[in-house]
Amino acid sequence: MNHYKLSISEINKLFKDKKLKPSELYSEVFERAANTESIIHGHLTLFQDENIKKAADADKRYENGTELGILDGIPIAIKDNINIAGYATTCSSQMLSNYISPYDATVITKLKDEGVMFTGKTNLDEFAMGSSTENSAFGPTKNPWDPSRVPGGSSGGSAAVVSAGSAIASLGSDTGGSIRQPASFCGVVGFKPTYGTVSRFGLVAFASSLDQIGPITNNVEDSKILFNSMKGFDPFDATSGKESKTKQPKLKNAKIGIIKELMEDGISEDAKLEVQKVAKLLESQGHEIVEVSLPLTKMSISIYYLIAPAECSANLSRFDGVRYGNRVAGNTSYEMMENTRAEGFGPEVKKRILLGTYALSAGYYDAFYGQALKARAMMKKEFTETYKEVDYLISPTTPSDPFKFGEKSDNQLEMYMSDLCTIPANLVGMPAISIPTGLSSNGLPLSVQIMSPANTDNTLLEFSQKLESVVSFTSLPEIKGDVS
Amino acid sequence: METHVELKTNSKMFCRCNVVETDKPNENLCPTCLGLPGSLPVPNKRAIEFITLLALSTKCQITTDGMFHRKNYFYPDLPKNYQISQFDLPVGTEGSLEIVVNGEFSTVEIERVHMEEDTGKSTHIGSGRIDSATSTHLDFNRAGIPLVEVVTKPLIKSSKEAVSYIEELRQLVIDLDISEGKLEKGNLRFDANISVAYENDDELGTKVEIKNMNSLRSLEKAIEYEISRQTKMLNNNETIIQETRHWDEKKEVTSSMRSKEGSADYRYFSDPDIPNMILSEDFIDKIKNNMPVLPSEKRNTFINSGLSIEEANSIGKSPKWMGELYKSVSDITNDSKTTFNWITGELQGQLRKLGETSPPEWMTAEQLAEIISLVKNDKISFTSGKEILAELIEEKINPEEYAISNKLIQENDTEEISKMVKEIIKENSEVLERIANGEEKLIGFLVGQVIKLSNGKVNPSVAKELLLKEIK
Amino acid sequence: MTDKIDIKNVAKLAALNLTTEEENKLEKDLSMIIDHFAALSEMNLPDEKISIHPLGTPLNLADDEAIIFLSHEEALSNAPESSDGQFVVPPSLD
Ligand SMILES: [Mg+2]
Ligand SMILES: [Zn+2]
Repeated sequence: MNHYKLSISEINKLFKDKKLKPSELYSEVFERAANTESIIHGHLTLFQDENIKKAADADKRYENGTELGILDGIPIAIKDNINIAGYATTCSSQMLSNYISPYDATVITKLKDEGVMFTGKTNLDEFAMGSSTENSAFGPTKNPWDPSRVPGGSSGGSAAVVSAGSAIASLGSDTGGSIRQPASFCGVVGFKPTYGTVSRFGLVAFASSLDQIGPITNNVEDSKILFNSMKGFDPFDATSGKESKTKQPKLKNAKIGIIKELMEDGISEDAKLEVQKVAKLLESQGHEIVEVSLPLTKMSISIYYLIAPAECSANLSRFDGVRYGNRVAGNTSYEMMENTRAEGFGPEVKKRILLGTYALSAGYYDAFYGQALKARAMMKKEFTETYKEVDYLISPTTPSDPFKFGEKSDNQLEMYMSDLCTIPANLVGMPAISIPTGLSSNGLPLSVQIMSPANTDNTLLEFSQKLESVVSFTSLPEIKGDVS
Repeated sequence: METHVELKTNSKMFCRCNVVETDKPNENLCPTCLGLPGSLPVPNKRAIEFITLLALSTKCQITTDGMFHRKNYFYPDLPKNYQISQFDLPVGTEGSLEIVVNGEFSTVEIERVHMEEDTGKSTHIGSGRIDSATSTHLDFNRAGIPLVEVVTKPLIKSSKEAVSYIEELRQLVIDLDISEGKLEKGNLRFDANISVAYENDDELGTKVEIKNMNSLRSLEKAIEYEISRQTKMLNNNETIIQETRHWDEKKEVTSSMRSKEGSADYRYFSDPDIPNMILSEDFIDKIKNNMPVLPSEKRNTFINSGLSIEEANSIGKSPKWMGELYKSVSDITNDSKTTFNWITGELQGQLRKLGETSPPEWMTAEQLAEIISLVKNDKISFTSGKEILAELIEEKINPEEYAISNKLIQENDTEEISKMVKEIIKENSEVLERIANGEEKLIGFLVGQVIKLSNGKVNPSVAKELLLKEIK
Repeated sequence: MTDKIDIKNVAKLAALNLTTEEENKLEKDLSMIIDHFAALSEMNLPDEKISIHPLGTPLNLADDEAIIFLSHEEALSNAPESSDGQFVVPPSLD
């Protein structure tokens, strides 16, 4: 029997009942990786050998009844922009191909304390900039449902390995949809928590005011387990929040708003139908569905593509070949930095750095970056007002089902549009989850996104679990041979 | 003037690395101050308290809803290639500082007081000159140490005023106990912006920034040099360009610096890693309530005790023990000037000769006051007073007992002295004759003879007085 | 409203040594994106004090306590070039 698609609590029960050992699950997951990775390329590195001892230790803990918690012995994959001490953190960039992190991210410390085993580091769009993993310097990840299609991005590797079964769950990072969009494309659950609930310390920053670490899992319950083991105030992250009391949305007889602007042009028929289908299911659970309008949502791509590049232009300045990274020679230190950055960064990263530099430069700040900040504040107000009327908001996660490799790489704006539905949650800071609910006319996964007010994460997860229980979706693709 | 003040916190501004002096490069580092991928800044609470203290004590308005900005420029000693600083919402604005220039009060207007982080240290290897260096070595121990930048308004009018301002600011940060305040260690680093204009011009002339002045002396010299350079240029109808110039300590000239590559477009924007910094009323009140005595207040106390502005200013900027000793001693002697002179002159002079920076711990204000009183009341000579002071620095003695046992007490009994005077006159009839013939300075010789006869115990002025009486 | 983007200047600010080919392509790509921003740039939005933190969470300040995080060796472990415990770079101009 295969165990890699079981839920964490099911696995934990087998471990406790001594029907399965961590070392057995570990072997199974790595065997699965051996069978799928050559097609999927979700992992950049596999921590195979070093886990033998860890798995044996976990075995002993379960034997002695001293296991560290529900996550003890669970193999989890980590996006390669999250630092694990002693291992490479490449961010899928030539810049960092030889960079070894001397420290653990806070989330890694927390998961280690719970006995989690890391399967390895997963592929992403370079520095998390992209929606397809086509921007990885180490080659793209393929969608397990159809290897001729992208897995989404930027956490494409993390979504693909969970879908393929070479990890029980994974961590991704979400700046404009980078957890939810690939989760949707790969038919798994992706959860972006409220900004600041999970520490960003040790996550290589893309856009600091938008970035958030979150889980990608086979089911909502697993996301909930991982989220709760990672969240909490971190003295090393000034933006991490202390828990605050917030009015929680209703779990029964809730009012759910369908965002009008995310059901219009640019959204495929399949995606719209999926939302309508789920809306009916929710109604059958006793909830009320209404349509709401959030006009500034239409501006979210513009707001995002000013704020995120502006922040990234400064965040990526540190990659200069002085203290780490692959240095390219120059006659002066400035020339060395210029050459290092020119060779180390790929085209999309360069484009966004330049875009952000431009948006912040003298004479353009007010019209671009400054204007985006104002619009973001207004957009936040729109959502706050709307949440006075409804408990949750619902929309498609992605405008369409997974696209083919190369399909959008020539049209940058169309590529950027694939984050249309996910960006608002980052701009506003609220939690959002993507739940696979059905298949498109192409037989590929489709998901809906549910959002709730900031700091209502666990209520959103509980609500989502109830929805999940009434949709029939099996997240085990049959991986066909490499057709690309 | 733009002055960077290094704060004396335990840990750095945005990380918890040690702030200690060490010869070992790159010892006190963490992911944050080394700019490693994934690191984040968390502001140091004490540094914020310190800057608030400085802003309040310079009468600044406090920004209660401030924030940190990123100042973007590429330079290898800047780990993130942006400096976390403050832009349009600094902690303090619109303040002032009272200073003393040439014995008179003056006020320096302060534009802003803001918080930022220091950079690493570059050493250019290969040759003494930057231009011909073959490589640059980088030590990041200093990177991330909290700095307060204090910027004045362009209203300082002379090099003397600039120097007095730095002296006052230095004393302030020492008295507030927020910085070591050592110029030689770079705890205070200052740049001067200088512009010269025609007397009748309403507007300031072109601004030239001068860097690399490591002492008050070079600050004074550099400003004077730059004023004369710019004045000459204006007189020759030359155009002054806005630039940064480097003070050459050896040649004592300023020279144009090649500008940092990149550009001066710093693309300031608020640092998204650090939420707005709200300073609560409570926080500010606590700091206000714990405010120590400021240099200006100390100075006023000295003035009220009878010292001149100049004297009060000078003792206020001397080592702390001097001011304290002065206060206790003058409380006993009730003679501020004499006490000031004994402490800043004799005592400090003797200590300096011995290589000491402060008096021995056994020396009390009472002892010093006693020496001063003995001299003042003509019980002992000034020379004997100095001798007793020297002895007191060596070991614990009682000044009066010492004076008695060493026969330093002067004879002030006129009857006794009269006898001796008569005796000397008798023995020196020849000298008396010469005095009568106009050689008046020989009186001094006779005074000396009287003192000799008394084994040095006679008060010279009494002896002289009696001699003159006898001769007439 | 679209000013022609001065790609050379922007690249200089960003310390990116671009080839002419890259300059041409990026100039075109960026202009297209910037054109897309026109609708946002032209919006009339109220001038409000901006909180950069999306939720306006209060800032947590750190206690002034020193801890040791990295050893000297760890700090230099990724250095492309080092000597005498220092990072080494080509000459920098002051
Ligand atoms: Mg500064
Ligand atoms: Zn540090």
